[in-house]
Amino acid sequence: MHTGEMVKQSLPLLILCGFGAILTWSTLSGMTEILESIPGLIVVIPGVIAMRGNISTALGSRLGSAYHLGLIDVDNLWNNDLKQNILGSLVLSVLVSIIIGFLAYLTSLLLNVSPDPLKLILIVLLGGVSSAIILTSLTIGIVYVVFKKGYDPDNITGPTLATIGDIITMLCILGSAYLVEVIL
Amino acid sequence: MYDWRIIVRNGLPLLTVTASIEIIAGQILQSGEKLLVSIPLLLVCIPVINSVGGNLGSILGARLASALHLGSVEVTLRDPQLRENIIVALLIGLITYFILAIGIYLFAVFIGIEAGDVDVLEFMGIVVLTGLLLSCIVILVSVLTALVSFRRGVDPDDMVAPVVTTTGDIMGILFFFILLQIFGVGV
Repeated sequence: MHTGEMVKQSLPLLILCGFGAILTWSTLSGMTEILESIPGLIVVIPGVIAMRGNISTALGSRLGSAYHLGLIDVDNLWNNDLKQNILGSLVLSVLVSIIIGFLAYLTSLLLNVSPDPLKLILIVLLGGVSSAIILTSLTIGIVYVVFKKGYDPDNITGPTLATIGDIITMLCILGSAYLVEVIL
Repeated sequence: MYDWRIIVRNGLPLLTVTASIEIIAGQILQSGEKLLVSIPLLLVCIPVINSVGGNLGSILGARLASALHLGSVEVTLRDPQLRENIIVALLIGLITYFILAIGIYLFAVFIGIEAGDVDVLEFMGIVVLTGLLLSCIVILVSVLTALVSFRRGVDPDDMVAPVVTTTGDIMGILFFFILLQIFGVGV
């Protein structure tokens, strides 16, 4: 465990990721109005972001393993193994979104904030599922390009998804909140 | 070979646990919502502080996991190499938070994010001190998670990242609010 290499390799990466995070999260400064008008919305944001990150990195790393096991490759990408993986991620997104919306509503009630349960669950569900569809398509696109170039997907999918995943998820929550606010 | 039902069954328990903990983080955010919404600069820097904390803990945990697998580090807190790594990680955290504090403030001024009556020195003090406290916690949690899971025969690579990022998310927000109080922001 040489500490010199940690300074040389990790410090620049940490700072770079930090600046990436500044760009992503400055979008929050444009959300203050909608955060105020929908009680409970701020509660679900950390949960949805964490869920999206966990589900997409798991999908990316499963597809990496599937490639190494020879189950999928560039000529045989759109097969049953890939479809099962996509379906699994989407079902997880729907279930965990509902859980997040429901828990946010319940805990808010306990703390004497009363959000509209239907609104909150609908926003999380729409945001969670739309970001799942976008990020899953993106993952498959990345995996396809990585296969074509002959790289190891394990080295590419994780960091790429982590970097663009947060901003896409934030925009999906924001979009859903506006949409639900207009409809309901 | 893959079956969507098995993917759902394997993923759901851990996802439910992390979602529940993140809801606690969200509720702490909601308790300070008025202040955060009136000074969006503060709202924007919380996820940045947390993401650096999560990355720092995950890097240290991944390094420690590899060293444990290779047997180059003893499974005890008295190991001198482990101590050196902890100190270096803490220094890296400090430098990163110092640079990012300046970066966030400059970027906020540049794109016109409202900073309220928080001046640059006050802001840097809050961010760097939150970062220092958070670094201590994520380092502690990451080392303990790696050591305990290794001793119990669980692969530390599977455990450290989710545990460190979820505890980091809660502690980061808590420390941030405590420092806002100490600096008297929004009082």
